[in-house]
Parts: sequence; structure tokens; C-alpha cells
Amino acid sequence: MTRTHHEPEYHWAVPVAGDGREANPAHWPRGGWNPAEQRTFRPAFRDERGDRFGAFDYLSAVGRAADVAGFDGVTVPYDPAGEDSWITAGTLLRESRWLRVGAEFHPAFATPVYAAKLSVTLQRFTDARLDWHVVVDADETAQRALGDFVTGDDRYARADEFLTVARGVWHERAFSYEGRFHQVVAGGFFGPLSGVPFPRVHLTGTSDAALALSAKHADVHVFGLDADPAVLAGHIARLRAAAGARRDGIGIGLRVPLLVREDANEAAEALTRRAGTGAGTGAGLSAADNAVVWHGFDAFGHRDTAGLVGSYDGVAARLAEYRETLGITRFFLAARPAAEEAYRIGEHLLPRLHAAVPTPAKASA
Amino acid sequence: MSIDIYWRIGMGGDKESLRHPDKTRGDWDRVRPGSIAPGLRRGAPDGFTYLDHMADVARAAEQAGFYGGLLPSFPMTDDPWASAAALARETRTWRFMIAFQPGFLNPVHAARMSASLQRATGGRTVFNVITGGGGPAQLWWGDKVAHDDRYARTSEFLDVLRGVWDGGPFDFDGRFHRVEGGGLPAPLAAQDFPEIYFSGSSAAAIDAAGRHADYYLSWLEPFDQLARKFDAVREHCAKTGSPPPKFAVRVDVLARETEAAAWREVRRGWENVDDAAADGFLRGREGDSVGAARTGGFLAGASLRDPAGFTVAPGVWGGFSLLRPGPAFGLVGSYQHVAERLDDLIALGVDAFILAATPHLEEAYRIGEEVLPLLRGPHDLTAPDAPAALSAV
Repeated sequence: MTRTHHEPEYHWAVPVAGDGREANPAHWPRGGWNPAEQRTFRPAFRDERGDRFGAFDYLSAVGRAADVAGFDGVTVPYDPAGEDSWITAGTLLRESRWLRVGAEFHPAFATPVYAAKLSVTLQRFTDARLDWHVVVDADETAQRALGDFVTGDDRYARADEFLTVARGVWHERAFSYEGRFHQVVAGGFFGPLSGVPFPRVHLTGTSDAALALSAKHADVHVFGLDADPAVLAGHIARLRAAAGARRDGIGIGLRVPLLVREDANEAAEALTRRAGTGAGTGAGLSAADNAVVWHGFDAFGHRDTAGLVGSYDGVAARLAEYRETLGITRFFLAARPAAEEAYRIGEHLLPRLHAAVPTPAKASA
Repeated sequence: MSIDIYWRIGMGGDKESLRHPDKTRGDWDRVRPGSIAPGLRRGAPDGFTYLDHMADVARAAEQAGFYGGLLPSFPMTDDPWASAAALARETRTWRFMIAFQPGFLNPVHAARMSASLQRATGGRTVFNVITGGGGPAQLWWGDKVAHDDRYARTSEFLDVLRGVWDGGPFDFDGRFHRVEGGGLPAPLAAQDFPEIYFSGSSAAAIDAAGRHADYYLSWLEPFDQLARKFDAVREHCAKTGSPPPKFAVRVDVLARETEAAAWREVRRGWENVDDAAADGFLRGREGDSVGAARTGGFLAGASLRDPAGFTVAPGVWGGFSLLRPGPAFGLVGSYQHVAERLDDLIALGVDAFILAATPHLEEAYRIGEEVLPLLRGPHDLTAPDAPAALSAV
């Protein structure tokens, strides 16, 4: 697994706070997050489930689906109102064959030494398939409820220290550090805990502080689709300028919620069912332009507002365009319900995306 | 009385929908980009096997509330016994209904396999005893025994299986099977005997079913025909003095939020129906299966031009064989409408269902979440999308 940041990868989002085919997350029956929505049978029918199955059986189904469907990885979001991302990542790593599993977390969750310790064990047990997605710009009220009172640009300063210390103890045998937020004296991993690949670090954000942090620490910087491509290109240029001195470069990632169907008409109908009468036609989908950016995915339980709606061909073409014009090589895709849609995307979208990309060898031939 | 609802595991791959002819799951069609289990990763085999997909389906159906799953048996598909042993370890509550033809297995060994599988699964083994449709497929298996004799052999097989089950010593001297001092070893003999789902439409089948079946299993047929078939079994049992079995029916379902959406799926699939194959389905048939002959009779007037012509009663559609391998009849309609038809079947005496839909993984979630909770209604068929839309078929 020595792929570079420049080879395209497609990752899938794991739903840690329930899932279902309904638009409104309050009606999702899976995962036990809406007890009133559990789909139970009337007493005449023998139902052996009882309390034997829980949220993790469904999370496992999503991970297995993404694995057989050919995704390169999955990402487990940091959601204080959902399942814990580390535990979820640990189970999915164990139950998958190929997936890189990204645990999204906030640096306030533990000391950097402990985060490194937790991660080195996961790396050892999984052929180094763990990724880090570090959240810095979280909601401050929610963070106070979790005991975290660091605010503003200090959050970036703390994340810088966190990543410096984590890498320090990971790679060195007597690492000492004295910072504003973190300290360690003669830290470092020995024996089988040493020499393990450090997780790939993913960071996000468009502020100067966020881009500066990425310039120093990120393997991959992940953007959303909220901005116009031109604005996004500007952010990417700022990031590249800030990281100019780094020889390894930074991979550019994009989060894209999806609503894709066999043709644009069906995608428009599916959008109408979710967003209400007129949404499908109002989105501007047509045979000629069979993929559009839709700014309403947050209402369907996605964290991002902007995503793509369209046909398999249209959405694949649009993603390929982002890849070629913006240099995006890491796509973090999401759709509901996640288990079924993983199969759909794996069968229809991924083959189109892989076919549309000249591999580096072919490109140079 | 409790009603058991099984799902089906496709043992010969699966398609992503009824719209397209190609199987993208499993290795029955060419493995190419987008294939699943096995698939390709950057052009190289990804190491998954079809079992990985079957396990996905089994787990999905288990979590969606299905009581178990039928593992069918055909010449060109994977084997149910081998698959059940593997899937047993991937599920917790799910029953494995193993389809097999008694003629191909030594009954004492079948008892051993079954008892060990009971031990491996905590008693989750169920039998679907099938006796074969004759014709080239029967010969492919190496079986030249004539139709009614096959049922006699099935009967002997089950006599021996039961005879050795409790530990013996058991002696048997029949036309097809012979055993002296047979019996399972004690730990195996302590297992519960699996429930038997018995298939067959002929008089010979009904006679054997009366002696051995816990459930008499039929394909879906037009409901009045199905009721008559069940009555024939009841009458036969009354004559012979054996208690009547329960009744089970194997039903394909195509259920969507609305009638219109369900029929749109049918029509999209119909665009790809090969005329020659359809003609063959309507006119010709191989083998000596009485059930298959009955199906042909029900659809005698259907025309290939219009899928609606295959509708024999509201929601009961006989064109499934043209969209995927398997029996002709199934239910098409809105969630409410399909649930109402299933309740009608319960009302005419059905105690268990084996449901199926394409694709099996996604539809296990859909049917478990949207249709099964509606069963034993009341059903709201006045919704604007409900049966009125049938006129648009």
C-alpha cells in the first residue's frame, strides 16, 4: 500500500448515527437511533432478532459492502451525537480486507501520546490501513460539553502541537516536547511498536490557520463542494503556495454527498421524493446536463450541504472533471442508505471513474 | 400459530436489478470492473468469492427480520450444504433452508451432515426436500429414475434419515436404500430433527408430502389454484389419516413506494426481454415437472408485447421468469398492495413464506423495513398511489 497522493482513491462514509432510505434522519430505522422508527412485525410473525442485533451489525454491513464493492476506504465521522469513531474504526478494520479506515477525531479526545499509542496498535493489527481525519474547527458549544474550552486560532496551535508530539513519539526513541498544550519527556515507542507507518493525516478548512496547519502536517487536505469550482481552485492554490517547501506535496481531497441513479430523470425523481415537489425539476437536471451540484444534502442527514445529483454517466464525468481541473485525487463519497448505495456506487460509478482516468503509465505513453 | 418468513439466497449470482440481464454479483458472468464478489482492484482479482456476497445477503436478511433463508439447488449454482456450513458462522438467528434432492445423497450420511450442521448452528437447519423436475437437468445429475419412483425414493430416504437420527440401531430394506444397525453417535443424535419443507405438485408428491412434510411448499400460483392445491393435500391427508402439513409458498415480490414505480421497474426490465427466450418460456418446456406444466397453462393467453398481459389478478404477475431465472409468478405493486396480497395468502392457509426479490441484498432491507411490518393489516389501499394505478399498467 505505497500509493502516492496522486493516484485517485474513492472512500465511503460510514453512518454513525443511524441510516435509512427516508430523507429525514428522524425516520431512519437502522442503528437504534430512532426507537419509535424500529420496523417491528405484528405478533403473528416469528421474529428471532430480539435484542441480539445492534448498531454495529449494520455498521459492519456497510463496511463489508464498501469492501466488496471496491472502495479504497471508508471514513468514520466524528459525531459527538453518534457512535464513537475509534471503536467503529476498530471493528471495521477487523472485518475488512482492503479498506483504509479513516477515524475522524478531535485533538481534545486524548493526549497525543495516547492517540499515537492507540493508533500504533490499530496499524499493527491491520497492515497499516488506519487513516486520521483530524477535526479542528468543531462547534465550540458542543466542544465545551465534551470538556474542551480551547477556542479560535488556539485550536490550530493545539492541533499543531498534537500532531508534532504524535509524530515525535511515533518516530523517535527519546522525544521531548514542551508546548502550550502538550508536554512529553523522553517519549517513544519500542520493540514491535516502532517502525510502523504513521496514519495518513487528513485535515480540512479554508481559513489561513487551517491551510497553514495542513501545509505543515497534512498528507491530504479535504475540501467540501460548497464553493464554486473557481473559489475552490483559489483555496487549493493558497494551500499549495503555503506548502510550497514540502517535497512530498499534499493530496487534495473532496467530500461529495451523492444522489445518483441510472439516468437523470430517475435522479430528479429521487430528489423530488426527498426534497419535495418540484425539487427534481428545480435542480436543473436535464438530459443535456445530467449532473448538478445540489445545495440541500444537509437536510438528508449529510454534514455537507453541497453534493452531486445526477446520472451515473453525468456524476462520473463531473467527478473526473474535478480530478482533472482541480487536481483532486481523494474522493470522500457518501449516500443513504449507506449499505445499499455502496453496492450501487461500486457497480456503476467506480468503474466509470477508473475507466475515465488514464493511469500515470498510460498518460505518459 | 406463528408465521415464518424466509428470504432467498441466490446461489447462482445476482443482478443489480431486474432491468438488466447481466449478473454483476458472483462469477457467473464475466468478472469485469464493477463486478462484486469476486471483483477487480486496479485490474487484479480482489480475493473475494461469491460467498462474501451471500454472507452480505444473509446478514442483511437476518437483521431485516427474516426468519431464515432458502438456499436453492440447481446444476449450475453453488452447493447449499457447503454454503450453509460457511454462512452458519456469519449469522446468529438465521435458519438455513437447504434444498436438496434425496436421490443424490446417502441418507445416513445426510443425517450426519444435518446433525453436525445443527450442532454448528444451534439447531438452525431446515430441509427443503425437492424431488427433481426430470428432463436433461435430472440426467445431468446422473439420475434416470422415473417421476413417481423418485417420490418413492424420497420417501425411503426420509424414512432412513429419521430412523438413524435418534441413534438407532436402525434396520431398513427398501427398493432404493438399505441399512443395517444404523444410527448417529450420541452427541449428534441429541439434536432436533430439522423441519421439512416439501415441494411437488403431482399426486405422487402429495402422497409423499402427507407422510413427511412439516410444510407443503408450492410456488406462487393464481390464488384460487393455490387454494385448490392446498385442498388436495388436505383431502389426501384426511383419506390416509395423516395430520395435514402446514402450507408454505415461495413468492417473488417487486414492491415500491407506489404502484407506478413498481410497474415502471417491470417495464424497464421488459425492454430487455429476448423474444426468442420469451417464446420458449411460453410454448416449450422440458422435463416432467407437473408444477411447470401448471404454470404454462395459467399463462396460455399471454402476449410478449405487453407485460400487463401476464397479470392474472391484481398484483399477481406471471412474467418473472422472463426477468430472472426462477418461478413465473410473483407479486407486483406498492408496499401496501403487496402486503395485502400476502395477507390474502395467509387467509387462505399459508403458514410460511419464502420471499425473494432482485437484488437480494438491497431488497432484503426494503422488504423487511417496508412490507413485512404491514402484514396482517389493516391496509390503506385508498392512497392515491394504490391499486387505482393498476389501470395504468
